Order: sequence, then structure tokens, then C-alpha cells
Amino acid sequence: MAASSSHDYAPLIRKLESTLQLTEAERQGIASLPLQVQSLRADQDIVRVGDRPSRSCVVLSGYTATYKVTGDGKRQIHAWHIPGDVPDLQSLHLRVLDSSIVTLTPSRVGFVTHDDLRVLCRAEPRIMEVFWRQTLIDGAIFREWMTNIGRREAYNRLAHILCEWMVRLRAVGLTDGSACELPMTQAELADAMGVTTVHVNRVLQELRADGLISLKGSRLEILDWEQLQQVADFDPTYLHQDPGEAAA
Amino acid sequence: MTLTHQSALVATGYDEEGALIYADGRLVAVLVRLSDLHEAEAGHWYLEAGFGIGLDGPNHETFDSLDEAKGWIADQLSRRERAAPTRS
Repeated sequence: MAASSSHDYAPLIRKLESTLQLTEAERQGIASLPLQVQSLRADQDIVRVGDRPSRSCVVLSGYTATYKVTGDGKRQIHAWHIPGDVPDLQSLHLRVLDSSIVTLTPSRVGFVTHDDLRVLCRAEPRIMEVFWRQTLIDGAIFREWMTNIGRREAYNRLAHILCEWMVRLRAVGLTDGSACELPMTQAELADAMGVTTVHVNRVLQELRADGLISLKGSRLEILDWEQLQQVADFDPTYLHQDPGEAAA
Repeated sequence: MTLTHQSALVATGYDEEGALIYADGRLVAVLVRLSDLHEAEAGHWYLEAGFGIGLDGPNHETFDSLDEAKGWIADQLSRRERAAPTRS
């Protein structure tokens, strides 16, 4: 566990500013949050179902996922988290965690205590609003995932996951033109899509064969964004990425 | 209960060699043999589709051989019968 440095706050500030323009005082408030930084290996739980955490975590680098496991050991992934996300922000108000969070890749996460978050929210009320807004957007993403898993075929479902991934990474400056890192294994994609790895393998192959994507190792390139978006039935409105939308 | 199978081509696009599995003459599952696309799992048998309780869930299993697959299907069917003894 290490103390934070000033650049550790950049992903969080960038993420919050992708949905709401912050004032200098608000940025300063966030940058003064005491952050305990921890480096984690891939496939390591950060928190687990049933935990009663007194702090929340900010993803500083790397990627994580929220998941639950059924009684007979089948895992469902509910969300991906990218740098700047606070995947267990809800634990500030919901004492017991109802899902677990795992690292998908080696990651650096910063822990901030709930007490410090409360002090900041009292000092800068708009920060409280922006955190509230973030958890509402998490809910919007969850509703879109539910629709995706429940009502789209696997081919379109995976296309939707890739579109969302690209748009979310672009908002925090982690894309390289039409390319980005896609660090999930096929097993993790399967657990997020509610299908098997066999099915994921087939639909990845079909998306490639149809000239929509190229995937070399973990580097994803979108070859035909318009067509991929159409196949995915992807409308990014639910990501609420327009900072002007929240002007109040 | 007797399980029988019949070869079939299945239009999955990639894994077409398949087998229809019947229990007492009723179709209960469609298996396909995984192609080279699946690398380490190539040659294994995959539950492409199953019918009825215990077989139609989202967690399609993969088996080393057709016999192993049939054993698992028989097991699922007997569990179904135990869970609802009046149904059949």
C-alpha cells in the first residue's frame, strides 16, 4: 500500500469531467482526497459479496469487473470498470456489498475512505451531485446490459459490448484512433454475455469475417464503426457522456 | 429410459458435425463436435441445444466424448424425473 501522487487523481477527474464540467475548487477538492494506492495482480478480488467496506476504490490503471456467482458456481459479470471509475461507490450508502469486484488485468487502485468522501461532499455539494450522477449512469449501463443479454442474439450482443467499450475508453482518452485494448479473455466475455466460450469464439470469428473488427492479441481495431453500431443496435445516449446535459 | 443418437449436420456455421440425442424416442439434445476453431477444445462435444428442464439452461457443457455427453444427459434426465415424479 502506497500513498498517492498528484497524477493518480487524473483518471478520476477526467472521468467525472466527461459527464460534468468541474470548477477549479472541485478539482482541488478531489485532488486533496487521501488515496491509498495498491497494485494488484490480474484475477484478484478487490472486494467480495458480503463485505462491509469503510472505503471505496478508484480504478487508476488497468481494468476490473463486477460479478456475482450462482449457487452452483456460474459467474455472471455485470459491468466492466475502466480507469477513473469508482466501481463500489454505492457502498458509501449501502453498507453491505451485494456483488464482488475483480481485476481483469494487473491494476492500480486507490482506496478513499467513506469518511473522507463525506467531508468532501459536504464541502463541495456539486461533487455529491456528480457522484450521484455517476451511480445513476451505472444504473443506466446496467439496464442496457440487461436488455442486451436478455434480448439480443450473441453476435449483436458482442457487437454492443465492443461499441460500448470503445465509447467509454474514448471518453477517458484510452483509445488510439479506431483501436483500443480489449483485455478480457473469452471466458470473461462469455461470463458478461451469458453465453459459453464456444459461442464467444464463434461470434468473434463472425465479426472478423464480416470485416467489422480485427482482434490481434488484446488489441481491438474497429474496421467499420457504422456497420458495427448498426449490428449492435447501439445508441450511446445511456452513457450520458455530454457534460452539458447535467448543467444545473 | 434409453438414449440413442443419430448423426446430423448442424448449421452452426463452424461446428457442423453433430448428433441428435433421443430419450425413449424423443429429441432431448443436439450435440456438435467442436472444430479446429476452438483450438484446445477441438474434437470435444458441445451441448448446442437441449430441451426441457436440466438441459435448456444457458450453461452449455462441453464433453470429452459422445459417451460422456450421453452419460451427463442421462443424469440430467433422471434428476428431472426425481424432481417431478408425476410429470412423466
